Amino acid sequence: MLHVKNRELVIPGQLIAEGGYSTYGGAFRDGNQVYSSVIGLVDARGQDIRIIPLGGRYVPRRGDVVIGVAIDSYGSGWILDINSPYAGNLFVSDLAGRKVDLDRGDISQYLSIGDVVVAEVMDVNERMRVHLDASGPGMGKVRGGKLVEISSAKVPRVIGRKGSMTATLQDVSGCKLKVGQNGRIMIWGKDQKMVNAVVEALLMIEREAHTSGLTDRVRQFLEKIKSEGA
Amino acid sequence: MMEKPEKLIVDGKRLDGREPGELRPLKIQAGVLKRADGSAYVEMGLNKVLAAVYGPRELHPRHLQQPDTAVLRCRYNMAPFSVDDRKRPGPDRRSVEISKVIRDAFEPVVFTKLYPRSGIDVFIEVLQADAGTRTAGINAAAVALADAGVPMRDLVSSVAVGKVDGTIVIDLTKEEDQFGTTDMPVAMLPRKKVITLLQMDGHFTQEEFEHALALAMNGCEQVYGAQKQALRAKYSTKPEEE
Repeated sequence: MLHVKNRELVIPGQLIAEGGYSTYGGAFRDGNQVYSSVIGLVDARGQDIRIIPLGGRYVPRRGDVVIGVAIDSYGSGWILDINSPYAGNLFVSDLAGRKVDLDRGDISQYLSIGDVVVAEVMDVNERMRVHLDASGPGMGKVRGGKLVEISSAKVPRVIGRKGSMTATLQDVSGCKLKVGQNGRIMIWGKDQKMVNAVVEALLMIEREAHTSGLTDRVRQFLEKIKSEGA
Repeated sequence: MMEKPEKLIVDGKRLDGREPGELRPLKIQAGVLKRADGSAYVEMGLNKVLAAVYGPRELHPRHLQQPDTAVLRCRYNMAPFSVDDRKRPGPDRRSVEISKVIRDAFEPVVFTKLYPRSGIDVFIEVLQADAGTRTAGINAAAVALADAGVPMRDLVSSVAVGKVDGTIVIDLTKEEDQFGTTDMPVAMLPRKKVITLLQMDGHFTQEEFEHALALAMNGCEQVYGAQKQALRAKYSTKPEEE
């Protein structure tokens, strides 16, 4: 039996349901009861209960696309800051997409410290060592563009249902976006004014993530700036 | 130092006009600090306490890292201007002890196993003190942890009880603490009614203790209500505001 409505705001320790439910992120079982462990919105689908968190740090999961910044290098790769309690490891061959002979020349030709990389989380082990891969399409070292950082808990809102929010942002502004699950977003655009408008829109999404009708408000906001002309 | 008032309880009422079982005015606000991952501000009577939470984040120094869980660290600190005579800044025997008991109060509620090798830092700053700062600090820290999105089994609510002029009272003020006979801070998990902190300065008979504990648990329930409300209030702001 469900004790709260779907999409209701819950706080840690609040009773959500009783009975044979399965729990996912943000919910936990105690005997026959299901409780929330974070502040968030209830997402109940059939027998599955999940809490959409409203805050908290990014925890890497296999398959996530993240945007990292190189903070250190070693003989065969780099350590990337991925806006999380854990750093990511990227090997040269996983950036270049082919076997790299480490005896020939150093690896600084591929990436230097401070560079931004779009990468996929290849593996996370039980000690939270994160292994990244940047050889796939649309990934690798970033050239140009603007980097925005928001709370990772708000990323699902930036993507929207089936990518509707990202589509709106890209279509209206004419900019190209790359959203990392870790709360970092890259924006590329020719029109500096629209790039800045997208930054503003992203901050607005972060601020108002828990409200409804956000996609429409974002569209209006961007269209207003667009129509004001250069 | 103040003079001892002749009577601390007059006609069943306390010096500030409260009933023995009545809490001081309580005000809790969540998310007051922008730079911290989570924060809260609490006023319990004249106590003013600020709590900030950082993390889970990479833990330094590295040798403190635990391979299988997160490390919870607490710092309780009193501002030099929080008391009548300037308090010498920096950690002292008392604040180190209080930091430890507060950490022990939170250890059973935080899901530390979800964040191996990381650290969660809780900072509790007492801006103004009027007895019961550790309980106010715990109440603030619980809200700040929830605000930071740290997964927890429950919140932690806390209040002190004591004996003043032979009467069992809740949420003691500075005068009552100083001239009363007993002071007992209690913290509990409101959902399961599990006690995570219990200290006592003075004496209680067994009956008095049982009565005091029941009173404290009742007080914790009220604090819990205010904590829940504070967390809800943060996310009920209108979209047009900012």
